[in-house]
Formats: sequence, structure tokens, C-alpha cells
Amino acid sequence: MKTSIAFALAFTALALLAVAPLILPEYWTGVLLGMTGYVTLATAWALFSGPTRYVSLATVAFFGVGAYTVAVLNEVLPYPLVLLCAAGIGMIMALVVGLSTLRLAGVYFVIFTFGLAELVRQTVSWWEVNVTYTMGRYVFLPFEGHHIYWQLLALAAITFLIAWAIGRSRIGLALKALGDDETVAAHAGIDVTRIKLFLFVVSSTIITLVGAIQAPRWTYIEPSIVFNPTVSFMTLIMALLGGAMRLWGPLVGAVPLFLLFEWLSGRFPDHFSIILGALFILIVFVMPNGVLAKIDDLRKGRQS
Amino acid sequence: MSAQLEISNLHKRFGGLVAVKSVSFDLKPGEVVGLLGPNGSGKTTVMNMISGALPCDGGSVRVGGKDVTALKPHKVSKHGVARTFQLVRPLPTLTVGENVLLSVAYSRKPKWGRAAQAIVDEKLEFVGLAGRGDEKVTNLNYIDQKRMEMARALAAEPEILLLDEWLAGLNPSELRIGIDLVQHLQGQGMTILLVEHIMEAVRALCSRCIVMSAGEKIAEGPSAEVLQDPVVIKAYLGDDHA
Repeated sequence: MKTSIAFALAFTALALLAVAPLILPEYWTGVLLGMTGYVTLATAWALFSGPTRYVSLATVAFFGVGAYTVAVLNEVLPYPLVLLCAAGIGMIMALVVGLSTLRLAGVYFVIFTFGLAELVRQTVSWWEVNVTYTMGRYVFLPFEGHHIYWQLLALAAITFLIAWAIGRSRIGLALKALGDDETVAAHAGIDVTRIKLFLFVVSSTIITLVGAIQAPRWTYIEPSIVFNPTVSFMTLIMALLGGAMRLWGPLVGAVPLFLLFEWLSGRFPDHFSIILGALFILIVFVMPNGVLAKIDDLRKGRQS
Repeated sequence: MSAQLEISNLHKRFGGLVAVKSVSFDLKPGEVVGLLGPNGSGKTTVMNMISGALPCDGGSVRVGGKDVTALKPHKVSKHGVARTFQLVRPLPTLTVGENVLLSVAYSRKPKWGRAAQAIVDEKLEFVGLAGRGDEKVTNLNYIDQKRMEMARALAAEPEILLLDEWLAGLNPSELRIGIDLVQHLQGQGMTILLVEHIMEAVRALCSRCIVMSAGEKIAEGPSAEVLQDPVVIKAYLGDDHA
């Protein structure tokens, strides 16, 4: 019963968001677009990194690969096939990365993923300069802002559905367990490596698709734009602010932070990174488990 | 009768330290056997090699006739081996019931939903935690955490149970409860290997004991005899007492 009400609410919200660009001015469609992109990124990120506590900074590696796939293939293949290719490439990359790194734990994994993002960026730059002799690429697709927004909105809805389904399934339970204690999880019969790999691939594929869908937005693409590490940090900080262990956590974090960043980058373009860093520290110190957990705690505190 | 658990020539080195040196022993189905020895003698290492938590450097582990030596823990568990840990290891983000549910969901005959919940309730009731499935693990006291860990191990419906100092740290009345629980399992025909320092428990539970010292097996036999063995007394208390 509760579930069906939640579904009805979510569907109504989705419908309202979908018609929004028909009513709102162009600028706000752009804001909604960016926001939906980050909500999807943060939710997909939390899908893997939330319960397992493997903090990944590779978000932008996948995001950028998605964008670049579109940039390279947009004149060769029909658009749906381009998206399919992007998803496939993201999936294969996640499999390779996952197989080689998910044995790393804690800070080593964080550093590896950060390094990976740089590696991919440098490799793409090198390739473009030395092999294809181009430094930037143009994406000419007949999309306006609201077309891209609708695609992102659909992807966001799918991401939430996946996250919801996993949270209710055996896999969700196993994920929480292995985030707590991998040894115990393994002794309970869970193939720890396989579950981590599966979730990493699902999460990374969605992230790749976000990059691919957003690519036409830029028109002109070069590595420093689509492999900008700020994307990884923003995704991380949004998920942490809301609470990476909860289904709605990343959304709760992403919406206000995106609006804040949007405002800040307009007002203080030069100090943006400093403010971002300071916010990061503040969130980790004050609400390590996120806003939603904090609200729960406060409520319980009042009751007892 | 063939052995339920068959360990032969098990070997483990940590760098230059030989932690376990050609240890062999068998457990018959339904037997409760004590694995004793002073601290650092390699008992837990043997447990870890049986359950797959540590790879062996030599020797073999066979469960019900099947070789499980090189298998990872999740595979070993599928052969009907379950364990508890030396220091109790609850999963804090899960409730008491979910801790147990985890084992049901990933056992040899995995279940989910109502059927799984029925097993969880049954196991919780068996260990004395009936109706407490929704509580947070962190709210449980020590013995209840140990009970929960036992329920989690039993929920996989194992044939072999490895108990690593499961009775340690309990007060006398809790110890009685603990011993009764293990005896109850014994009555159901469970094969149990028990690492234990509490002699009262060993005498009450184990028909047979294996004693290790400095990585080697130094004695094996009926509990009463083994505990009288001068070699064993020497290993625990030193030369003067032998």
C-alpha cells in the first residue's frame, strides 16, 4: 500500500517535471537539465559506492567516455545506436576496471579511481593529438535543451527503478553486508567479487550514458571539458550530503547543491573551487551519513 | 563411517613464521571435537583454512569426501560449512533478523521472502532471540550478539559448524546457556569443531580433543585422557607442572 502511494507520487512528480520545459523559460530548462544530470550521476554513484563504501572518483572517466563516444560516432551512426555503443563501451570499461581493482580496498581504491580518470583523459588527449590530429570535436545533433532534458529524465527514472529494485532484493542485502564486513559476507555464502563487479558495471554504465546524453549540450567537446575532475567531486559530495545509503539520499543532496553551485559559479567564478572544497569538508565533518540520517537522528533524539 | 571433515597435512606460513605445520585430523559425522592449545598455537589459523578465509600453503581439506582446499569462503559454505568468529562480528547496518536472513538468502538452498523469514524466525527462536529480529545489532548485549552469530551460522543449514571461542567472555550463567545450545545441536546430529579455552565447556561437550602447540598437533584422543596427558599440561603450563 505504502509502496503504491510512493510510486504514484513519484510518477506524478516525473510527469510534472516532464511538462516543465513547455512552461518554463529556456534558462530554467537548462537548470533542470543540469540538475537531472547530477541527480542521475549521484544516484548511480551511490548505487555502488553507497553500500559497499568503495569511494569512486572515476565518475568523470565514464562520463567523459560517454560524451566522447557520441562526439566520435554522431556523424557515423544513428543516434540510438550511438547511445547503445556508449553503454557498451562503458560496460566493458567497467568490467576491465572492476576486475582489476575491486580487490583494492579503502584509500587505494579511491586513489586508483582518481588516477584512472586522469589516465583516460590523458590517453584520449594523446590519441586526438597524435593519431587523429584533432584536439576538439563538434557534436551536431538536432537536439534542443528540452530534448536532452527528457532523455536525462527518462534515464533518471530508470536509475531510480534499478536502485529501488536492488534495494529490495537479495543483492541489496548482500551489498550492505559486504560494506560492513566482507569476510562475514563471504562466509555467509556471498560471492563478494561478483556482486561488487555487477554493481560497479551497472553504476558505471548509467554514468557513461549520462555523459553520452549530455554531449550534444556542449556542441564543442575536448578532453578538458568532459574529463573535468570536478564532475567526480560534485557527484561524490552530492551523494554524501543526502546520504549514499538511501534511495532518495543522492537526490536530496544533488538538488540544493546543484542550485547552489549554479549560483556560486555565476557569482564567484574565481573562488568556486575554494568554496567547493570548504563545503566538502563541512559536509564530511558535520553530516558524515548525510542529511536524511541526520534528520532521523534529530527526530529520534526528540522522541527519547 | 567416512569422515565428515578430513584434514591432512595442513600447512601455513606467515613470512618466516610457520603457523601450522602438517596438521591432520578427521571428524566423523555428528562428532563434537575440541581444538585446544595455548594462544598462538594455530587453532584459529586452522579454522580459517577450513572455512576458506585463508589459503593453505600445503595439505588438503575435504568436506564429506569433496576437496575444498582451494575454494573461497562462499564456495566452502555451499559445501555445508558454517562458522562463528573469534571476536563476534555482527553486521551493524543490518537488523538482527537481516543478519540471519543473509545466510538464508545465500545458502545452498537459497530462499527469499516469506519462506526465508520463516527460517530466520525459527533460528532466532532456537538461539533464544525470538521476536527480536527487528532490533539493531548494536543494541544487543554480548551474549545476544553471540546468539545472533550462531543463528546466522545455523541459517545456512550446515552439516559442519566451526565455533571459534564461541563461549569465551560469557559469565557462568550465560556459559550454561551456551553449552546447552551446543548440546542441543549435538543432539540434532551436527558435526562441530570447537576452538575453546574454557575446560568446563570442553569437558561437557567434546567427546574427543585435538591439542595444538606452536603450530603442531601434539595430542589427540578422548577428552579426559588428552587433558591428563603430560605433553598437553606441559604445553599449557610449562615443564614444572608436567
